[in-house]
Amino acid sequence: MSAVWRAARAAVRRRRLQTFLIGLVVLLCSATTVVSLALLDASSAPFDRTFAARHGAHAVAAYDPAKVTEAQLTAARTGVAAAAGPFGQIVLEPDDRSVGPLPPHAITVVGRADPGGPVDQLDVWHGRWPSAPGEIVLAFPPEENMDRGPLAEMTSVSANGVTLRVVGFAYGISDSADGWVTPEQVRALHPTGLQMLYRFTGDVSTKEAVNARLSGVTTGLPTGALIGAEPYLTVKEDAAEDLGTYLPLLATFGVLGLVVAVLIVGNVVSGAVVSGFRHIGVLKALGFTPRQVVTVYLLMASVPAVAGAVPGAVIGALGGQALIGEAFRGFGFGDTEISWWVWLAALLGIPLIVLVSALVPARRAHRLSAAEAITAGSAQRRGRGLRVQRALSGTRLPRAVSLGLGLPFARPGRTALTMAALLLGVTTVTFAAGLASTLNRVAEIDVQVSGDIGVRGLPSDFGTPTTRTDAQVEELLRGLPGTARVGVFADTELAAAGSNEPIRVIFGRGEVAELGYRAQLLEGRWMAAPDEVVAPSNLLLERGLKVGDQVAVESGGRRGTLRIVGETVRGPSGPPGLMADWSSLTTFVADPKLAPSDFYYQVQVTPGTSVAGYVAAVRAADSGLDVWDNTGGDEFTVIVAGFSTVLGLLLATVAALGVLNTVALDALERRRDLGMLKSIGMTPAQVVAMMVTSMAALGVVGGLLGLPLGILTHRFVVPMSASGARVRLPLSVLTVWSPAVVIPLVLTGVLIAVLGALLPARAAARMTIAQVLHNE
Amino acid sequence: MTDQKPVVRLDGVRKEYGETVALDGVSLEIRSGEAVAVMGPSGCGKSTLLNMIAGLDRPTGGTIEVHGERVDAMNETKLALFRRHHLGMIFQFFNLLDDLPALDNVALAAQLTGSKAGPARKRALELLDELGIADRRNIYPAALSGGERQRVAVARALMNRPALLLADEPTGALDSKAGEQVMDLLLDLNQIGQTLLIVTHDERLAHRCASRLVEMGDGRIARESALERS
Repeated sequence: MSAVWRAARAAVRRRRLQTFLIGLVVLLCSATTVVSLALLDASSAPFDRTFAARHGAHAVAAYDPAKVTEAQLTAARTGVAAAAGPFGQIVLEPDDRSVGPLPPHAITVVGRADPGGPVDQLDVWHGRWPSAPGEIVLAFPPEENMDRGPLAEMTSVSANGVTLRVVGFAYGISDSADGWVTPEQVRALHPTGLQMLYRFTGDVSTKEAVNARLSGVTTGLPTGALIGAEPYLTVKEDAAEDLGTYLPLLATFGVLGLVVAVLIVGNVVSGAVVSGFRHIGVLKALGFTPRQVVTVYLLMASVPAVAGAVPGAVIGALGGQALIGEAFRGFGFGDTEISWWVWLAALLGIPLIVLVSALVPARRAHRLSAAEAITAGSAQRRGRGLRVQRALSGTRLPRAVSLGLGLPFARPGRTALTMAALLLGVTTVTFAAGLASTLNRVAEIDVQVSGDIGVRGLPSDFGTPTTRTDAQVEELLRGLPGTARVGVFADTELAAAGSNEPIRVIFGRGEVAELGYRAQLLEGRWMAAPDEVVAPSNLLLERGLKVGDQVAVESGGRRGTLRIVGETVRGPSGPPGLMADWSSLTTFVADPKLAPSDFYYQVQVTPGTSVAGYVAAVRAADSGLDVWDNTGGDEFTVIVAGFSTVLGLLLATVAALGVLNTVALDALERRRDLGMLKSIGMTPAQVVAMMVTSMAALGVVGGLLGLPLGILTHRFVVPMSASGARVRLPLSVLTVWSPAVVIPLVLTGVLIAVLGALLPARAAARMTIAQVLHNE
Repeated sequence: MTDQKPVVRLDGVRKEYGETVALDGVSLEIRSGEAVAVMGPSGCGKSTLLNMIAGLDRPTGGTIEVHGERVDAMNETKLALFRRHHLGMIFQFFNLLDDLPALDNVALAAQLTGSKAGPARKRALELLDELGIADRRNIYPAALSGGERQRVAVARALMNRPALLLADEPTGALDSKAGEQVMDLLLDLNQIGQTLLIVTHDERLAHRCASRLVEMGDGRIARESALERS
């Protein structure tokens, strides 16, 4: 065994606490790095990753079986890298569309023998693949809880005279079908199309390129054989819209986590080497060459670095996978495997940072003579630090506190790194807290505008419809105990001049404004005249409209103009529409014949009223009414609040570990001073106060700087995230920074610092001092 | 100058570090106004004895009374307060805070008791003046000579008017001239009534400053004798 290795091993053994700290910090930082990089990676291209992993189809094509044979389709391979099919395809018209969340249109059912294959591998996330005729798997993004909710009720689908038992749910990145049955079943249903799934060679990054490849494939096939095809880019665009909300949030946490991890590792390792200068001097005096000394220290830092990096990366991978999986699962992007480069970055990158952090001070020691190195191991005693200590000694502060306030100035480099970590810790916590507050406010608006309870008349094909008129239903609801507000809505589609698509107009009466729609106005004002409407942001974005615009509408030959006077965050449930006053209904709609089931009622109950009890009361009062509970948080809020809490806590813990390390190093370097102070009567409580104050001061500064940074991050990232979801947020959900929120957040820096400092400070207070005082 | 009231009373004090016995049933009394020198070869237990009296370390057995209080039975906080008010300590390597100038190093002892900076600095300056280094009050320890540093350490030790001054090799890191100055200083202090316990290898220091010599060997008191100051 070489002398270098022996000296390094001895150093590791002798400095057990420091070695443990480096290992622990590297472990947590590796975990944070993996989570952060995985978030950044996931946020960069979640669709592309899953698309690649699942061998998504570049084009989903439907052919006419009357014009082309299966053999011809199989043979057509120009420009095709991989193909699946032909699969029999049929469009079914379900008899009972209201049971479960079936799309409000006919569903495309494809006969596939299995969910795998070279193209469009499907994720059967619940149940199993159909193995016999009469069975169907439906296409839905994964749901967390299958015990209740709409999917739980979907046990069968009846269409075209057959009833298919739902045996599972699957999700495919290519959106190639709404359901899958066995090939035998689809043959029995007499397929009207043949589906081919293609993966093409070459660059297919544009719709034009995909179409060109499709032309290549279909060249040689009978004219008119291709009924239709959908390029993957359409699905990708839809996915980008859904994911747009998550990505800025994930990326922000990712960047913050990465920077904090690098800062802390650098601080801990360089501090460990600096505190070992004296040992370096001794090694040099013993005859170690400068190169050998540097190697000893690099080895000393590497052992815990490697020991921490490997389990840290694994923990981070497991945590990151769970976190991202949770975030993206609802979109069907369940393939959240951590990329190889993330593993590489954690397993090599963090130890590399450790080595570089160790190398910089070790090279300084390399240049020092043995005598200089021996005396350089203690804190610097010159310059600004001395002036600050002197000024503090003349203040009225308790001496333990004033001594503590001066400590950070002795090691400005270490102080800067510790403070930077604290600052970013506070920034993260502030951002996470702001995000949670914003989400809560958005959820409150959602709950408010949804009403606590939704009521609609049952259509005749779902039971006995109510015999009450809309006015009577409204009267019934208003008469029930616990009713606070009732809004009544009915909508219709009016032809819009200059557009092929009709525009939906929702007419409302009752306390519509008070239900929360007026409170969430982003711009403009509430309607005050029959020709005035307010519109939700997504409708305005979709139609290219803005407040002040006029929309010419027509119904049964009756023409009129609606003036948009306000913009709301969102309108009543269902497709977006212009919100108009009830009085406008007869003005703009020629023949407003509305069935009881066309009315939608929103009810808000008084505080303390049981929503479940109210729902039961409505059902008991009129069985012809469909009534449901609208309360409860949405999945998005829960997921984002969950991962922001986890990451906030993780980064705060890492920052606290950085503080812990700094105090432990300070205590080690100043053990003689501490011994002397105790010898002249400094009590253990005063020692703790001094050490904790030194970090609490940094916590205050970190808090004061980190808070505005967190607020700015929130102000910048949250609207970006909202615009990804095509939503504009009202100022009220962004201005969440009341004193009740801000003051605890400023104290977060102090809290992290104090928690991190407490343990080593207490250890310093209990330190046996006799030995250090009598020996130089 | 001595009276019969013991400032320090050790009864059967034993200290073990693992299997090593550092003190083996040491009993000793130091009366108020006495100057006692403890001598002996390295590892005989003299520094351990001083640590026990100062409450810097705890005995394995026996009792230690200082100024009428059982030091061995005190918790850490009580010990700190006790040291603050009743003990002064001088070390071989001075143990000054390098970030503070001489004056603030001395004032620190009073400031820890809650004294305000102004009065504490005033008293510190008086002490530095008495010790002849008032003009060096704004100098940091690194720029002071060894003798000056030890004077600052003595001033700090005297800041709270301790009943007992403990000195551990006070001249061990000084050249002969500075050592002489410190010896004179300790002698002067004893002559005005300061009780002293000096742990030293330096026979000259013992004979110059102490009125009684305690010689130790293998963790025990081998011999006690009265000294005629030279």
